[in-house]
Amino acid sequence: MTDIAPNAWEKLPPEATASAPPPPAPTFGQEARRRLWANKPAVISIVFIVALVLAAFIGPFFSPYTYYKQDLKLANIPPAFETYTVSDGAGETTRIFLNASNFNIYEVDGQGHVLGLLRGGRKDLIQKSQPFTFGDTEVTLDYSRLPARLLAADGSEIRPSGWSWNRTYLFGTDQLGRDILVRQLYGAQISLTVAFVATLVNFFIGVFYGGIAGYLGGKVDAVMMRIVEIISTIPLTLYVVLLMVVFDSGLLSIIVAIGSVFWVDMARIVRGQILSLKSQDYIAAARTMGASPARILTKHLLPNAIGPIIVTLTMLIPSAIFIESFMSFIGLGVTPPLASWGSLTSEAVETLRAYPHQLFFPAAAISLTMFAFNFLGDGLRDALDPRMR
Amino acid sequence: MLGYLAQRLGMMAVTLFAIVTLTFFLMHAVPGGPFVSERMLAPEIAAALNAKYGLDLPVWQQYLNYLGRIASFDLGPSFKYPGVSINSMIAAGLPTTLRTGLLAVICVVALGVPLGIVAALNRNRWPDTFVMFVATLGVAIPSYVIATVTLYLFALRLGWVPTFGLDDWRGYFLPVFALSGFWISFVARLTRSSLLETLQQDYMTTARAKGLRPGQVLFKHGLRNSLLPVVTVLGPVVANLVTGSFVIEQIFALPGIGRQFVLSITNRDYTAIMGITIFYAAILMVMILIVDLLYVWLDPRIKLTKATA
Repeated sequence: MTDIAPNAWEKLPPEATASAPPPPAPTFGQEARRRLWANKPAVISIVFIVALVLAAFIGPFFSPYTYYKQDLKLANIPPAFETYTVSDGAGETTRIFLNASNFNIYEVDGQGHVLGLLRGGRKDLIQKSQPFTFGDTEVTLDYSRLPARLLAADGSEIRPSGWSWNRTYLFGTDQLGRDILVRQLYGAQISLTVAFVATLVNFFIGVFYGGIAGYLGGKVDAVMMRIVEIISTIPLTLYVVLLMVVFDSGLLSIIVAIGSVFWVDMARIVRGQILSLKSQDYIAAARTMGASPARILTKHLLPNAIGPIIVTLTMLIPSAIFIESFMSFIGLGVTPPLASWGSLTSEAVETLRAYPHQLFFPAAAISLTMFAFNFLGDGLRDALDPRMR
Repeated sequence: MLGYLAQRLGMMAVTLFAIVTLTFFLMHAVPGGPFVSERMLAPEIAAALNAKYGLDLPVWQQYLNYLGRIASFDLGPSFKYPGVSINSMIAAGLPTTLRTGLLAVICVVALGVPLGIVAALNRNRWPDTFVMFVATLGVAIPSYVIATVTLYLFALRLGWVPTFGLDDWRGYFLPVFALSGFWISFVARLTRSSLLETLQQDYMTTARAKGLRPGQVLFKHGLRNSLLPVVTVLGPVVANLVTGSFVIEQIFALPGIGRQFVLSITNRDYTAIMGITIFYAAILMVMILIVDLLYVWLDPRIKLTKATA
């Protein structure tokens, strides 16, 4: 108490007291944006999702292939292969690769472009071998023991001369010789379209239903919520399955099926928000000034409940993607030749033993997308609604 | 208690009635009859079949007949497999589904809860980071991806487990893991956040201040209170394990109800789809009721009459 500096009691010069007015407090939106940008996983997720959307909707235009073009001669080609070099004795060499799972030999060029399937001689079904002729050189494909080997004329095994990425089909081809990359992109397009549109439909139904229930309250609310309770008793997947059985499978029906079923959570959350907001003074003020219920709901209540609504929306997207792929997986989704991540996965499971790479791409794509939306949802939740942490 | 039970059972009956009605009319909205196929039936045979299954009656009468049959626990005959009733289909598949489902629930509780506890007690240290990383993986990766990838790795590549069927006890590993993967992660996350919240409560400080042993504080005061949300999700867990089993049983070729259901969908066996849906719904409602009763028993603060929300 004794060490107060003597000059502490002196009067301050006038300019020091008239300090600048405090900077305006950041608005809710600015604050939320700052919190979201500070969240690294969420930002990476946003970048990933934007890149995915661009690739899905623009990417197919840059590809020479379409999702339905089949080329059975070039079926089940892997995305990378070991190349063999065979000289024909006249100075010409041919680069080939052996597809060890279907015992076909394909010609490739030095950069890894697939030039075509090579026709061999007659298959010896007893010896399990097939001769291939390159000019004067004869090479025998021996598949009596697995893995299959290439034998030179003297019976010695030819070793691969190197390996190369597949430059013609970056992700390889499926069992009908369709380019997997393009099918992936179309699959992403369908999965994302279904997810976004179905989420939007859910949003409108849920906000409408929940808003009315919450705003009117009383008996109407009780009845409406009892209906929601009944709906949510059975897993929504069952409803979607039933609806998909009734509709013909296709893009529109799966959107309708998912969109008409998954609004229940949204309705609950909107109702809860409206219920807690509607006793606020500014609502009473608006009502006193003669605002109609519709105006109060859309201008005063919903904008204030937007945080949890957006969070729920972001969480709905991955579940919509999941349900769509789930339906496609069990054969109720989009119809072939259209692809979605679910149908691509289920097609890949059929050839899992021989061509595991076909499983890798759709499985990785859907998992990464689910990650991105989950992280984004978490980030948005933290940014928009710190209480829900 | 009894009054509450009666009220809940009444609710269940109403819900079940709504589901039966919904599925009945949905299935009748499907264009074409059950006997429409590539091979044209002679009109006499078609008429005889329709008469046998009561399909020549007006729809409302068919509906009443169906309701009557459901009330006596008869889900009717299959239209695709002559002489097979839906009841026998379900009875054939039930043991498999029940066994894998039960094992999955046990896994969810026995792995998810301890993982969550470990993470919460080691907050922001490596066990927590590790558990949360794995849990994030588990929540994001769809069950069928887990199933197919583990099938490839452990069954095809390493050969540790059979690729399909349950003849061998090792056959249970992959299906149960794929079924429970998501929910183990979910329950671990839930347990962690709920326990972290409980640990900050005043009564925890009081318990420590009283000089209770740390174990006692954790188990008697911490866990008992923080496990309530976990019990709440067990109802949905059971529900989702059931729907998850459609795909898992399909991938691993397990002869359960889920596979039967998917098969019925592919075969467009409408009575089977209806019957299995109704069966699922009934089972799930019973499960949710059990979980709710368990909840009330665990947390005496909850008033029975208000537990419906």
